[in-house]
Amino acid sequence: MITLGSYLILSGIIFSIGLLGVMTSRSTLKILLSLELLLAASNLSFVAFSKFNGDYTGQLIVFFVILVAAAEVAIGLAIIVVMYRHLSTIQADELRTMKW
Amino acid sequence: MVNPQLVWIAFFAPLVACILITFFLLKSKLLSSLTAIAGILTSFVCSCLVFTQIFQSNPPNELQQSLSWIHFDALTINFGFLMNPLAIMMLLVVTGVGSAIFIYSRGYMEEDPSSPRFFAYLSLFAFSMIGIVLSNNFIQLFMFWELVGLSSYLLIGFWYAKPSAADAGVKAFIVNRLSDFGFLCGIILLWSLSGVGANRSFQFTDLAAVIPGIDPHLLTITALLLFCGVIGKSAQIPLHVWLIDAMEGPTPVSALIHAATMVAAGIYLLARTFFVFEPSMTALTFIAYTGAITALMAAILAVAENDIKRILAYSTLSQLGLMVMALGLKGPMQGMYHLTTHAFFKALLFLGAGSVIYGLHHEQNIWKMGGLLKKMPITAITFLVGTLALCGIPPLSGFWSKDGILALAYENNTVLYVIAAAASGLTAFYMGRLFFVVFWGNAPVAHGKNHHETHESPAVMTLPLIFLAILSAIGGYIGIPHYLFSQQEPEALNMTVAAISSIIAVLGLVFAFMLYGKRNTQDPLIAKLGGFYTALQNKFYFDAVYTWYVDQVQQRVAIFLSQFEKEIIVRLCIGGITNLARNGGKTLRYLQSGLVQFYALIFILGAVILFLFLSKTL
Amino acid sequence: MSHYFFYIIASILILASIAVVTARNPLYNVLSLVVAIFSLSCLFVLLEAFFVGMILLLVYAGAVLVFFLFVVMCLNLNVASLNVTQKDRFRWLEIAAGFLFLSSFALALKSCLQAQSMHPSSIRGTVEIIGQILFTDYLLPFELTSFLLLIAIFGIVSLAQGALSTGKDLKNT
Repeated sequence: MITLGSYLILSGIIFSIGLLGVMTSRSTLKILLSLELLLAASNLSFVAFSKFNGDYTGQLIVFFVILVAAAEVAIGLAIIVVMYRHLSTIQADELRTMKW
Repeated sequence: MVNPQLVWIAFFAPLVACILITFFLLKSKLLSSLTAIAGILTSFVCSCLVFTQIFQSNPPNELQQSLSWIHFDALTINFGFLMNPLAIMMLLVVTGVGSAIFIYSRGYMEEDPSSPRFFAYLSLFAFSMIGIVLSNNFIQLFMFWELVGLSSYLLIGFWYAKPSAADAGVKAFIVNRLSDFGFLCGIILLWSLSGVGANRSFQFTDLAAVIPGIDPHLLTITALLLFCGVIGKSAQIPLHVWLIDAMEGPTPVSALIHAATMVAAGIYLLARTFFVFEPSMTALTFIAYTGAITALMAAILAVAENDIKRILAYSTLSQLGLMVMALGLKGPMQGMYHLTTHAFFKALLFLGAGSVIYGLHHEQNIWKMGGLLKKMPITAITFLVGTLALCGIPPLSGFWSKDGILALAYENNTVLYVIAAAASGLTAFYMGRLFFVVFWGNAPVAHGKNHHETHESPAVMTLPLIFLAILSAIGGYIGIPHYLFSQQEPEALNMTVAAISSIIAVLGLVFAFMLYGKRNTQDPLIAKLGGFYTALQNKFYFDAVYTWYVDQVQQRVAIFLSQFEKEIIVRLCIGGITNLARNGGKTLRYLQSGLVQFYALIFILGAVILFLFLSKTL
Repeated sequence: MSHYFFYIIASILILASIAVVTARNPLYNVLSLVVAIFSLSCLFVLLEAFFVGMILLLVYAGAVLVFFLFVVMCLNLNVASLNVTQKDRFRWLEIAAGFLFLSSFALALKSCLQAQSMHPSSIRGTVEIIGQILFTDYLLPFELTSFLLLIAIFGIVSLAQGALSTGKDLKNT
């Protein structure tokens, strides 16, 4: 029996993997990708809730999340490109001028 | 009926004079002196008018008026006056003798460039002294008590450029401050004992009514604490040390403050608030013995002094001791009577000494004077009148008042009588010594400091002398006791005591003549008394003991406290807090590492903790 | 029958996400993410949310991830230098944070699993139904998102302009 719980557990696992990716990745590109994983996980839980509660709201939220995620990825990649031009690298550690 | 406006005018006239001089007249010697004299004369005239009003009826009129000054739920302090026979007599003395001295100062301080400042200070002093006389509650009294101490400091240290004068001013102020601490404790204790909550009061009239209900032991303690104030202000043992050095001030100051009025404030306080002391035998005995011992010790020390003003200062100490003793023997009226007559002849003596000093161009050592009877006759005659009055020779005023005190002692306590009589005998001796050395015989070859021709002082100085001499002579017959004793009949003269005291006085004078009638260059007593004389010269080592105490004990405590404050309080406590802030900041700085992922980590940790809180796990 | 599908697709999803995080070559990262999105889309279809599933495929896998691929190709990255593992003193903290999150999530789930023994409802997220709701109840957010996309375009163009005017040519790096 596939209950709501299984979907939520799955969503949680994907979320944690994404979190690990964000915290431990060296390159900014991988960070951005992990960010996508996070969004995907939350999308899954939204849709699951929508189905099991009989409410379409969840799916509409997912629609908008996908839209905004697309915009955000575009800008993020533009930033990575600019960073690459200035520092010739995409290591996250190199961005450290704003320290104490 | 007593007119309150007159009282208020008498109260504030000298203050107005002081303010006028301070703000407008500091450049003009003539105007400032005239303003000051006008102020004190106004007070004197108003006092005379109030005097007639009080004694219009029998029993005499009294008046009390107060303004509410501080008014909280549990604390009420008023500002006002209490006018009764005791107060008006004291006021007359203060303003009358004060007027004479103010006029005298006009001549004495003529050559001094900063005399306007002098008159401003004098007016301030007059205001404060009148405040003490008129106050009707303890807090106001204390306020003016301190103000009088301040004026005394300003006047003693008037020639502030002279180190000994500046030091003397500070010494007077600090010794008085010590005694005032005890005084204040006594005032507050009395206030707290006088009732509960809002019933407690500082007013004399209220306190007199509740005294019977207070526990006797506490009352004794309160009385002794209040007496502390008297010990300082009226220079009893052991706080007498400031009065001698106070002679550094100009002579009119010595006459006014340290003879006639300020030092008598302690006696006045005792008389005014006698209801506090009356029930407590312990306190009264203590007071009486303190007074007697002061009287005797001061008389002994006067024998070895060579400065004309210091001899007179010791005689003041001695007479104050007698007055205090009278109050300790339950004789406030006898004490006040002697205070009044003492004001007359002591002021006279000081002003006479001032005249001598002025005439000899500021020479003060008696061994450099002599034969002034011929050169300065008016001064000499008035000085003689004053001396005889001080010694208690009948029929001058001093005889009557001193006799009252001695009779009181004779009837109540033989020990005290013997001490007092001995002190009186010594008084006659050293006053005779003073008179004969300064005024008798022929003038020595080197006279005074500048070898100028000595002549009598100007009229502005001799007229007050004459006025005070007349008062000293007839003071016994103008009925002072009648006005003071209006509540009770004065006692008849005790012939035994009168005879004994007159004989002692005459013997003292004769003895003095035998030793000093001939011209000497130095004191023959030095040879006769030897080692004891050295002790006398060091004033029985009181000053030495106090200096040792301050140097060794007090300085050490002060330095210890200062180190304590620096190390522990500032470095440890305050420094500790600042170090905590600084180090905390230094540690927290590492959160700003500049690495985005570190921030993300912290963010996530925070979110996890928040989540655990919300799910009620933590 | 459908739960077999669920388990298979779920395992593919999990493996793909792990691959996203742990792969060395950035190209593998992106392609793993594509696989993950595909499986996610299948899950959506399982949940009868057809519209969203297709949108996911078209927009995400079709446009966004292709964009990623473009950038990865353009940047000409030195693969070896990317994964130089330095001694990171916070690594343990990061991993611990991840597990902590997982455990807290499990904790939360425990309570809600018992609470809801739920059956799936009978709604189907078809294009007509979603479209109906989108253009009536949610019209305002719909219009606003077009504005949002416009802003995003402005941002990207200005960023790229700055780089172009100052910058080094990509070809010479």
